[in-house]
Amino acid sequence: MKVSPQESRQPVSSPAPLLKVRNLCLELEGRSILDQVRLDLPCRGVTALIGPSGAGKSSLLRCLNLLCDHWQGEIVIGERSVRKWPGGADALRRHLGLIGQKPVVFPGSIRRNLLFGLGRRERKVVPLSRIEKGLSSAGLWEEVRDRLDSSAGGLSLGQQQRLCIARALMLQPGLLLVDEPTSSLDPQGCHIIEETLLALARHLPVLWVTHDLAQAQRVADQVIFICQGSLVEQAPAMEFFTRPKRLETREFLRWNVCECDG
Amino acid sequence: MLKFVVVILALPAVMLPVATFGYVLVRGWAGMTEAYGLMDQVTGSLLLAGLACALSSPVSLGMAVWLCIHGKRAGSSWLLQLQLLHGIPPLVYGLCGMVLLVQWLHWGVSLMAGAIVLAVVVLPQMTLNYLAALQRIPREWTEAARSLGLGTAQVVLRVWLPGAWRGLVTGLLLSLARTLAETAPILFTAAVFSGVGWPGSLLSPVTTLQTHIFYLAQEGIDDRAIDTAWSAASVLVLLVLGGSLIAQWLRARSLR
Repeated sequence: MKVSPQESRQPVSSPAPLLKVRNLCLELEGRSILDQVRLDLPCRGVTALIGPSGAGKSSLLRCLNLLCDHWQGEIVIGERSVRKWPGGADALRRHLGLIGQKPVVFPGSIRRNLLFGLGRRERKVVPLSRIEKGLSSAGLWEEVRDRLDSSAGGLSLGQQQRLCIARALMLQPGLLLVDEPTSSLDPQGCHIIEETLLALARHLPVLWVTHDLAQAQRVADQVIFICQGSLVEQAPAMEFFTRPKRLETREFLRWNVCECDG
Repeated sequence: MLKFVVVILALPAVMLPVATFGYVLVRGWAGMTEAYGLMDQVTGSLLLAGLACALSSPVSLGMAVWLCIHGKRAGSSWLLQLQLLHGIPPLVYGLCGMVLLVQWLHWGVSLMAGAIVLAVVVLPQMTLNYLAALQRIPREWTEAARSLGLGTAQVVLRVWLPGAWRGLVTGLLLSLARTLAETAPILFTAAVFSGVGWPGSLLSPVTTLQTHIFYLAQEGIDDRAIDTAWSAASVLVLLVLGGSLIAQWLRARSLR
């Protein structure tokens, strides 16, 4: 399970982006949240989406999976527009696994939570091997294998977050959207979640929202910086943190480094 | 000061049941098992209230779910209309029921006519109760379920209803208590004074505790009748109190 960040940082092999966002604009109650955002997400690895609080990071994720659907512009995954996704918005959301800031477990057992996204017929015939695979991918199998029918509410916050990851993985998503998944966890829980997601990122592209620059440096292959709803800079992680091109990026990095230092 | 005002305001609510039971304890449960027995009235009241809630519940639940889904866009005007309906005196509903169901449809004074009128009376309150229960579902649950690809119907069936069941039952019991306490709407539509046992059909009249108290208190010519009215009032208070207490207990548990 232990994977170093460097191990997961492999060069982007495919030049064609998995996800393309063009001229994305979003307004809420007359206020501009996202303004002409344009970005490309590579087919693999971790892309960190960073920016100050209120920059529109979480809103961007909600636009991608149509939880927020009154935006203008274009979002294309593969060759398909998300607006014309086969099977509609529900099928799109199954394709884009979303992990939120706080773990959300539903009342009921660990098994029920794990299978929550599956259809009724599928839930009844899921073999134990598939449950094991799902929980193992999130590094949780060994900890819960003997208590699958116990209440999910009895798990620690970190375990609940990994259960949420496993629940999203059960739907075999093509892309993982991760919204500050460690914000409510202690350092150890944070470390385990990072390792889990980095292991997944070897096979599955991950778009990881964070406002923690140190975390972005640890996990990201590529960084996208947005500020006040606009995309400021998108670059490979090494280049972004050592040779930022834009003045706003340099100021953001300097300000955050100063804040970290003291 | 505030505590004092609350205590003063709460006094009637506490004293009324106490006084009712006190009267019955002093005078005895007059005629409960004799000529003035109340079993038919209890049966009639429960049948009417149960049928009214059974008719109202699916519509109220549907409206509450609809308001939850479309809350921001259309919710406020619908809420206003519900509150307006809630404010109309029940007697007006009773008159409308008498004209439409009893006379125009020739149903006569019947269980069904009374139940439909009571269902309409209780509909706004029941909808508001259900809405309050559904609105207590954490927004994160809904978002998590939607991000797992569940459609609206699936979210309602698998997240909202199981998550809010205690609140929904609380709303149902509070509405049941309200229907048990209503007298005016069933005076012209469902209830007769006596001579009726278990209704043979939905179009048979019933006798109820509420109207029984009304008739006995108004037309009772001996002390025995007045005592029976008090006994009936005690039973009614007991039923309403029981429903309300269970509802409050469930509500407290659902808020935990």
